[in-house]
Amino acid sequence: MLAIDVAELRKQFKVQKNREGLSGALKDLFKREHTVVTAVKDISFQIPQGEICGYIGENGAGKSTTIKMLTGILVPTSGKLQVNGYVPYKDREEFVRGIGVVFGQRSQLWWDIGVIESFRLLRKVYRVSETDFRRRLDELVETLQLQDLLNRPVRKLSLGQRMRCELVAALLHQPSILFLDEPTIGLDIVVKTEIREFLKRLNREHGTTILLTTHDLQDIEALCSRVIMLDDGRIIYDGGLDELKQRWGKGREVQFQFTDPIRLMEVQKLTGGLAVRWTRENEFTAKVWIPRELNVSEVLSRVVGAPEMDISDIKIFETNTDEIVREIYQSGSAEVNAAALQEEKRAEEPVPAGGVRS
Amino acid sequence: MTKWAFNMALFREYIGNYMKTKLTYRADFWVEVVADLMFSATNLIFIFIVFQHTPALGNWSEAEVVFVYGYFMIPYGIFGTFVNLWNFSERYIVKGEMDRILTRPAHSLVQIMLENVDPPSLIGSFVGLAIMGSAWTTLGLPFHWYDPLVLFVMTIGSVLIYFGMYTSLASISFYSDAPTGIVPLMFNIQNYGRYPIQIYNKGIRFLLTWVLPFAFVGVYPASFFLGRHGDLGMSLLTPVVGIVVGAFGLWVWNRGVHRYRGAGS
Repeated sequence: MLAIDVAELRKQFKVQKNREGLSGALKDLFKREHTVVTAVKDISFQIPQGEICGYIGENGAGKSTTIKMLTGILVPTSGKLQVNGYVPYKDREEFVRGIGVVFGQRSQLWWDIGVIESFRLLRKVYRVSETDFRRRLDELVETLQLQDLLNRPVRKLSLGQRMRCELVAALLHQPSILFLDEPTIGLDIVVKTEIREFLKRLNREHGTTILLTTHDLQDIEALCSRVIMLDDGRIIYDGGLDELKQRWGKGREVQFQFTDPIRLMEVQKLTGGLAVRWTRENEFTAKVWIPRELNVSEVLSRVVGAPEMDISDIKIFETNTDEIVREIYQSGSAEVNAAALQEEKRAEEPVPAGGVRS
Repeated sequence: MTKWAFNMALFREYIGNYMKTKLTYRADFWVEVVADLMFSATNLIFIFIVFQHTPALGNWSEAEVVFVYGYFMIPYGIFGTFVNLWNFSERYIVKGEMDRILTRPAHSLVQIMLENVDPPSLIGSFVGLAIMGSAWTTLGLPFHWYDPLVLFVMTIGSVLIYFGMYTSLASISFYSDAPTGIVPLMFNIQNYGRYPIQIYNKGIRFLLTWVLPFAFVGVYPASFFLGRHGDLGMSLLTPVVGIVVGAFGLWVWNRGVHRYRGAGS
């Protein structure tokens, strides 16, 4: 069964245009102009139960808007949307009992009361029975090590502590889908790792479907089998993380440090017949680029095995996900730039005409 | 019915938590009580001063006006306790706390009302009851067995009117980006309803009866008990108007929630 089924989903916002200056403000007072901004542009994807899916994109790409539609907060402008068998915004109250939501930047807990009081209140709101609540709470408190925090008011917790409490709050009613919007934002590396481990365990033991948005690609590498990448409201990639690396990854680079000065010609001769590319960094250093389909060890053995070369150091560089994603973002925005440039040109055209008139 | 039971259970829970937080800020609680009472006291003093200059206001004696004011305080206190929506736009729309509300399995308005309950306002209701009682004896009004029952029904009607008016008003935030200055305006108009409506001109009377029915939170229901000014038809209309206005408010809210657009990020 599909946990999330989205087809041709679109969300448009009407944004007020504010005209400049005092006269503009006066005009706005009587006649408002609106522009329609499309935050999510007819996206489609399906997530089966039990999958951990990463949802990534630059700021303003439409990630949060999508999540908010999936959780029943926003009503989509058009398209089909089904989560857990419900249309989120229609049967909202019934639907949200089966999902958990953590927004990294917004607290689910009550600020002034002890953490445990917040949990008790949520137990009532979600109508969880006392025994289920006890069992679940004990389990969560133990895995996340919250024993000492339970009686403290939320406002006195550190961000890391609060985040762990938020997770508990979102999971007390044992939801089958968990939505996380930037769950690791602002956390230190230890807490980040803890949370990742916890999410993995949750997915493994309870089969919880997890959809998370993040800017930290290490979250994605640690957790997700699948990535959906969004740019300007459209899905630009949907698939496995490995495929993403393969498709966009640029192979590997190996840097050799020699004891004697080298010339490019010499090193190129060593790997004759292989589709590699050498560059000379300085007198003693040279770099070789090896495409993905070629074996690194083959190149290495040829260079190291050459008797006339004395090597003092070898470094291997793998293009990491960060770089890949940055590349994709850049190419994505490059298109946008081209469009903007054309727009600008069109806008400039009337200027000479105006010059003639004056 | 189960829904009601559920909401009542939630109410108990929220009140419990309210008490826990407030016990840590006890001074705050009493400051609020005193401020509420001062507000009512100044209004009463205003009535007394007016009557030092004139024996009657449009055929209404001092005790009668005070009686109406006392009645008004009862629904107003209850309204203030449960429908504390003054900072709704700022807290839930601008800061986006509505997101959190909408991910929880209870009606959004119920949750917001419960999160903002303000029990100190309820003290005003008791004071109002006392004022009404003392005016009752001053006026030497007869007491019927059904009077408490009628008072109960009238109070519910009046509370529903307030609820409906202010819920619709809060719902405007769902449609418009910038919250307008309409709340203070409404608050001022609402204040006219606390005095006998017969002292105003026709236009204001019409406004307070049929457009913004604040007269049903004061003079109409109160005059049921004041034999001399009794207008049975208008008095008995109070619960009806309450149900209509309350349902309207809820309808506007439910529509508004679907227009919610979230805040930032």
